[in-house]
Amino acid sequence: MKLRYAVLLVFIGGAVGAIAREILMLLVPTFAHGFPLDILVANVVASLLIGFSTARHNRKIINDGWHLMVTTGIMGGLSTFSSFAYATSVLMKASLSSALVAAAYVLISLTMGYIAVIIGMKIGGRSR
Amino acid sequence: MWVGLGGGLGSVLRWWIGRMVGERYKGHFPLGTFLINVSGSLVIGYLSVLFNVDWDNRHGHGMVLNALVITGVLGGYTTFSSMQLDAAQLAAKHHAPLAALYLLLSVAGGLLAALAGAALAATQR
Repeated sequence: MKLRYAVLLVFIGGAVGAIAREILMLLVPTFAHGFPLDILVANVVASLLIGFSTARHNRKIINDGWHLMVTTGIMGGLSTFSSFAYATSVLMKASLSSALVAAAYVLISLTMGYIAVIIGMKIGGRSR
Repeated sequence: MWVGLGGGLGSVLRWWIGRMVGERYKGHFPLGTFLINVSGSLVIGYLSVLFNVDWDNRHGHGMVLNALVITGVLGGYTTFSSMQLDAAQLAAKHHAPLAALYLLLSVAGGLLAALAGAALAATQR
C-alpha cells in the first residue's frame, strides 16, 4: 500500500472516530459524583469493536486498507486515553470521596475494556 | 468539524509514531502505545490547566481549542482501545504478567503525566 494512501485512510478513520466520540459525549450524561460515564462508554464500545475488527482482519475477512481505516483510525479515534487519565487526575485531586470514584472509574474502565476486547475477538473470530 | 480535523491529525501522528517505535524496538512490551498515551496525558493536563478549560462542559460548543486540540488531536492521538487490544493479545500469547504490568504502567504513567502536566501549567499561569 502506498504511504500516501495509508495516511489518508488513517486520517479519515481518525476523523470519523473523533466525531463519533464527540457526539457520544454529548448524548451520554456524566454520572452523579462526577463519574465520567461518557468516556467510559466511548472506550468500552471502541474496545469491543477493535477486538471484532482485529479478529476479522486476522481471518482475512477485511483487507489491510479497511483494517487501517477501521481499527487504527476509527477505533483509535473513538477511544481516548488522555481524557481517561486527565478525568481521573481531576477527580483524584478534588476530594476523598471523588478520589474513590476515580479509583472505581479506573478499575471499571480497565475491566470492562478488557472483557469487551475479548468478547469482540470471540464474535469476530467466528465464521460468518 | 474541528474535532474531525484534529482527530484525523492525531490519529495519523499516533500511527506514524507507532511505526517509528515499532521499527526500533522489537520487544514484547507495547512501547509505542505506552509512550503515546503517557505523552498525550502530559499534554492534556498541561493545556487544560494553562487554558483553564471548564472540564465538565468541554463538549459541544464552538471553542476551537477544546474541539480541535483536546477532543480532536489528543483524543485521536491517544487510544484506550489499542491498549486493551495489546494487553489481550499479550495475554493470549502467554505473556499475561507482562500484559498486567503494561496496563498498570500505562494507567500509573498516564495519571502521573496528567498531574505533572497540570502542575507544570500551574507554575506558568
